[in-house]
Amino acid sequence: MRLTRGEKMFSYANGLFFIVLMLIMIYPFWYMVMGSISESDRTAEGGLFLIPAGFSLTAYAAVFQNVSILSGFKVTLITTICGTAIGTFFSATTAYAISRKRLRGGKLFSLLILFTMLFSGGLIPTYLLVKTLHMIDTYWALILPGTMGAWNIFVMVGFFRGIPDELEEAARIDGANDLTIFFQVVLPLSKPVLATVGLFIAVGYWNDFFSSVLYATEKDMWQLQMVLKDLISNTSAAISQAGISVAVQQQVNPFTVKMASIIVSSLPILAVYPFLQKHFVKGALIGSVKG
Amino acid sequence: MAVMNGAARRGQAAGAGAGARRPLWKDLIRDRYLYLLLLPGLLLILLFRYGPMYGVVIAFQDYNIYKGISGSEWVGFDQFTRLFNSPDFVEILSNTIIISLYKLAASFTIPIILALLLNELRGVVFKRFAQSVIYLPHFVSWVIFSGIIITFLNPVDGMVNVVIQHFGGSPVDFLGDVRYFRPMLVITDAYKEVGWGTIIYLAAIAGVNAELYEAARIDGATKLRQMWHVTLPAIRPVIVILIILSLANILEAGFQQIFLLYNALVYDVADIIDTYVYRVGIQEANYSYATAAGLFKSAVAMVLILTVNTIVKKSGQEGLW
Repeated sequence: MRLTRGEKMFSYANGLFFIVLMLIMIYPFWYMVMGSISESDRTAEGGLFLIPAGFSLTAYAAVFQNVSILSGFKVTLITTICGTAIGTFFSATTAYAISRKRLRGGKLFSLLILFTMLFSGGLIPTYLLVKTLHMIDTYWALILPGTMGAWNIFVMVGFFRGIPDELEEAARIDGANDLTIFFQVVLPLSKPVLATVGLFIAVGYWNDFFSSVLYATEKDMWQLQMVLKDLISNTSAAISQAGISVAVQQQVNPFTVKMASIIVSSLPILAVYPFLQKHFVKGALIGSVKG
Repeated sequence: MAVMNGAARRGQAAGAGAGARRPLWKDLIRDRYLYLLLLPGLLLILLFRYGPMYGVVIAFQDYNIYKGISGSEWVGFDQFTRLFNSPDFVEILSNTIIISLYKLAASFTIPIILALLLNELRGVVFKRFAQSVIYLPHFVSWVIFSGIIITFLNPVDGMVNVVIQHFGGSPVDFLGDVRYFRPMLVITDAYKEVGWGTIIYLAAIAGVNAELYEAARIDGATKLRQMWHVTLPAIRPVIVILIILSLANILEAGFQQIFLLYNALVYDVADIIDTYVYRVGIQEANYSYATAAGLFKSAVAMVLILTVNTIVKKSGQEGLW
């Protein structure tokens, strides 16, 4: 296919446009990385940080000595791992049961789950429920209320319906019951959908801060994002945290520490993103096909 | 075993018409493991989704946390009367709708344009790379992103104001000024989400018949005309569905973003139903009143979604369910 001159011009202009757009998208991250490795006394007047102002890693030393951040990391790791495991597993089991057409009451259960997409009790009743269950300041409050999403379940139901019945029949002839069929036949075939749903659940937990706002009155139950929120809005908190050695405190300022903290806490997502991007896109499309 | 199952299924299929189904208990026993698989997830849903739905009854009470739902006094629609008569109500409702519509204007048009342009990029590697980069902000949490925004827009040493001052302007407090706050919400939301928004359109564009483009080219259509006369009409159903869906979600103005960026200076233009429910309910412990406000939102949202779904189905498209 030969391009006319106009089409060539368009093509170059379009390519240039996207290069500029990408630079705009990357710049904030670049700015933070450069800011975080700058020497603190040279960041005072601000700037564009196209290159670092001097070079120093003390801000990172301060981040890793900060007990709040370390505690936030711990809480977020626990909630993300448990939440993702519980959410993915029980979404799969529930979805599988519903996906079997012979299940009596399957329609009713589907409707029950569908209705949660249309109507919700809202913030206050959920908060009061968690409080009534005495879950405040426990991991349960940070994990359980958000585990089961209707959307995830229906995505999985769609996938399970697509698995050929012959496989199930064959296993049944070999004497397998529904449990063994689910664990030994269905689950191994469902890795793609488990990965996709699991990823979205995991990102949700990793980025969650509002559960801490509601359910964590003690700072040692704060998720990482909550610690970060506090640190961003409260300038002095960034460096006056207990645990940071005096030597480091004297060498850092709130700006470099904020930047370093943001980098450190977004690193896990940025690190896995290039490898998992495909799954994320697939997930978005499964959702949209249904929509 | 297999034979029995087959027989059972045939029986069921025949019974569906004649009303002569197998006894329920036999099915329950046969499918006991399926129910076992169903149970934990269903219990979590009943507890954490339906539990709060029961909890909304406190909107009709003067809820006292020590007396609980059973011991609190019932007050009928008093909380709603208070809400609808409060000057706050008009403000939060209009803020919610205005912010939502502003965002919709941006998040509806920009992804379509970006998808059209992305689709024209030459070179598979470059295209993929460009996509990955513009999707990325979607996965960065609002906490981190708000940290970036606050740092960049800081009136004293923020990068944006450093540039403004460099060109002789005077610094602007973007997040503390009622004139700038809403535009900032729209811009930052667009920045974070437009890339992600292109995915659905790109998939739709990929499905357009390539012969149509070839025919258009032979007729001498420029790229722009091809986009306008071939691509856009082809993806119109997707566009229509997405805009209808966003209209159904009009009361979702972006709680996390506003919660993390707003401050008392801009409450007049930034306070939405969700932030109001949080402040009045959680911070001031006006549980019943805040629940009434939340229930108002949930109820309207449900009516909107049901209406939209009916319209979509009537127009001959596949609905949400």
